[in-house]
Amino acid sequence: MKKKYIVKSLLAALAVVLILTGCASNGGSKKNDTEGSSKGSGVVNVFTARHYDIDFAMFDEFEKKTGITVNEIKGTAEELVERMKREGESSEADLFITVDGGVLNYAKESGVLQPIESETINGNVPAELREKENHWVALASRARVIVYAKDRVTPDQLSTYEALTDEKWKGKVLARSSSNLYNQSLVASLIELNGEEQTLEWSKGIVANFSRDPEGGDRDQAKAIVAGIGDVAIMNTYYVGQMLHSKDAEEVKVAENVGIFFPNQETTGTHLNISGIGLAAHAKNKDNALKLIEYMTSKEGQEMLTNGSFEFPTNPTAELPELLKGWGEFKKQSIDYAQLGVHNKKATELLNKAAWK
Amino acid sequence: MKFLVPGKIRHKLNGWVIISGIGALTALLPSLYILTGLLGKPNENWAHIREYMLLDYAVESLLLAGGTVAVTVIVGVVLAWLTTAYDFPLRRFLSFAFVLPLAIPPYIAAYTYGSMLSYTGSVQAFMRNTLGWTVDQRYFNIMSMKGAIVIFSLFLFPYVYLITRTFLEKHSASFIENARLLGGHPVSNFFRVVLPLSQGAIVGGASLVAFEVLNDYGVSKHFGISTFTTAIFKTWFGMYDVDSAIRLSGLLMSLIIGLFIAERWLRRRRRYHLPVNRSTPLRRMRLGRVPGVIAATCGMVIAMLSFFIPVAQLAVWAVWTYEDVWNDRFFRMIGNTLFVSAVAVALLMVVAVIAANAGRTWRSTFTLVSSKLLSMGYSIPGAVLSIGVLAVFLSIDKRLAGLYEAMGLGTNKLVLSMSLIMLVFAYIIRFLAVGFNAVDAGYDRIGDRYSEASRMLGYGMTATFFKVELPLIRGAVLTGAILAFLEIVKELPLTLLLRPFNFDTLATKAYQYASDEQIHQAAIPSLIIISLGFVSVCLYQWMGRRGKG
Repeated sequence: MKKKYIVKSLLAALAVVLILTGCASNGGSKKNDTEGSSKGSGVVNVFTARHYDIDFAMFDEFEKKTGITVNEIKGTAEELVERMKREGESSEADLFITVDGGVLNYAKESGVLQPIESETINGNVPAELREKENHWVALASRARVIVYAKDRVTPDQLSTYEALTDEKWKGKVLARSSSNLYNQSLVASLIELNGEEQTLEWSKGIVANFSRDPEGGDRDQAKAIVAGIGDVAIMNTYYVGQMLHSKDAEEVKVAENVGIFFPNQETTGTHLNISGIGLAAHAKNKDNALKLIEYMTSKEGQEMLTNGSFEFPTNPTAELPELLKGWGEFKKQSIDYAQLGVHNKKATELLNKAAWK
Repeated sequence: MKFLVPGKIRHKLNGWVIISGIGALTALLPSLYILTGLLGKPNENWAHIREYMLLDYAVESLLLAGGTVAVTVIVGVVLAWLTTAYDFPLRRFLSFAFVLPLAIPPYIAAYTYGSMLSYTGSVQAFMRNTLGWTVDQRYFNIMSMKGAIVIFSLFLFPYVYLITRTFLEKHSASFIENARLLGGHPVSNFFRVVLPLSQGAIVGGASLVAFEVLNDYGVSKHFGISTFTTAIFKTWFGMYDVDSAIRLSGLLMSLIIGLFIAERWLRRRRRYHLPVNRSTPLRRMRLGRVPGVIAATCGMVIAMLSFFIPVAQLAVWAVWTYEDVWNDRFFRMIGNTLFVSAVAVALLMVVAVIAANAGRTWRSTFTLVSSKLLSMGYSIPGAVLSIGVLAVFLSIDKRLAGLYEAMGLGTNKLVLSMSLIMLVFAYIIRFLAVGFNAVDAGYDRIGDRYSEASRMLGYGMTATFFKVELPLIRGAVLTGAILAFLEIVKELPLTLLLRPFNFDTLATKAYQYASDEQIHQAAIPSLIIISLGFVSVCLYQWMGRRGKG
């Protein structure tokens, strides 16, 4: 009696395992092209930390054009790097896509990327938006700017990130929490430009001028300005773009009532947060991977991207959407983006020390 | 030290124990992997972590968890008591509605309320545009410690409510009716009879709540609260230091094991032995008109806040974004979500039953500790657990490389770690506590005597299990399965990292939008998740009712 049950349960367990492994190879990829993922014919496997619809629309477009299937695994950038690191030579990843130069550099330092060798890509993206040895190239960028209340602040009162620590902004500055990548990256860039000590002072100054403890996302900072909680906020341009196109009339009103100011135009330039793509160290579908990078950095791909996400394209030939054109030309921080990765840890520590929540 | 004598081992060592021993070992590996993080030498970042994060963040975490547990216990127990012991208008509807918040992932609730109460949200927009009021923003600021406690309490109290209600319905009748007969005042009966009697159930529910809060990252991140989990992620994502992040998780884990042991120890002498005979359900007393209306109103307010209002808001957003967001891929996502949840729940319940059964027949410190360790997966942030699971699966894959090659799959292949098996395994480890607690409670309820009688009459352990115990604990197994299903459908961090290529679920889709602050776009996947939860709760209610009749 007893044996019978145990045998039955074991058989059931075995069946489940078989079903699941079966699903792994069948349900796993979009088309029934399962073997392709291992043999390298007609697929490219992307590990991506960018979760935007526009990215997936681009993958679809690429599939249509080339017949190469794009498979993706999503996750947080650091998790994906950790996974690639642990998988080592066996890794199925061909490409790694993420937001933030610091993380891209971390991926490179972790040894999960290899140099991208393609003249087309070099032609698409200017050298300053590529890693020195081409371990990654930038796909898009967002400017981290100062957003202000149109009715209470005039642009001539604003100048630099550094000036936000001024006494006159006491109780008027808004920013989100320091666990956010964009803030870490901004601070890392300031460390690169102004040094650690000065940047710590700056962070303390900003914290002293906060109108409230950091909370919410970037959009919430814009809302807080219009609600009268603060006058100026540090946030990314592309959220303002998204709010202007929101289905919620109230959000549109908010976006219309705030101004965008590109800081540090006379000095070091406005901070850019870049998204980039890298070729996995053990890529098994290298040719297809290069084709996808070429497509994503092409004029066509870049125009699709910028129209979908309101990020700035990295290919200078791509035409900007009207909204971005309206913001005009501006001076960008010219730093080695790889340095952001080096400084990111310092930035986190420094923000902790400054008690930036 | 007490060692079992060999003869006793032979007697006690049976298939159940062996199977659960092997299972426990495998399932323990990821947790042990994380605990071993504590053993190594701390690196240069540790000093910084200790100085600037550890203590402050741990205190915030404790405040958050303590506050939430306090509120959920009060709300959950009072509601459970009210709906089992009294009759008042809307009681039937409410006793069902109080379970529904479980279908809403807390982080979605946090985004929804955060957005609703924000300056542009529906509440303030209505006041400003229709009523012409200008309001002080401070009264609408939900993104704070208090706000987080409110959000967590609204959406987690059903754990306490459900477990306590199930207990009271089935087992309290004789005690309470005696207390009533003896003329006890209802309030004093509640404190002197109901509370002590149901403390096991309350602690069970409260510990699930505490786990959820401690491992949460979504809510606290959005609200800007620095919890222990924030420290883990700042260390990992900000300082790129995985080892210290694992170390912090190990610390969190041992803290929770400590709490477990303390709880056991404190309650060691306060066990109530309940009558095992099928007790009659408690007779409900009718509340008078005024108290009845008050009870119904309070209940309605809670039900509105914890389910109907956020769902209505999400529905509005879903209408706004329908054209941009909806496409045929959602059918696939629904299929994926249902499939992986169903498989994981089925396996999880098998493991939970085996573990509970083994723990019961082979009572020893070892089984107690390992059953607790098995539940550990519930207490640590999913993202960290996922690294533990990944480590285990990659090492299995590397070990099996020769076999894969012989099977013609190619050299250097990752098979298991590229399949759904890894994700299902991770779900089981993470949510075993949910299933195990329910089954264990079921076993507690029936006691040993049925099983003993069956064994004496000649059935083996296995036959006893299938013929005697399983029918008796069917309800508990079902409760566990539904709770686990609700969890897995909403689960995010594990699904995000451990799924195979292109395996999207509803939760990952909702996250995709919410993480980019596109909360309106996240409404459609969120609503589908909620509907799945809603259907399973209905199913559960329906089966429960049928089971009674």
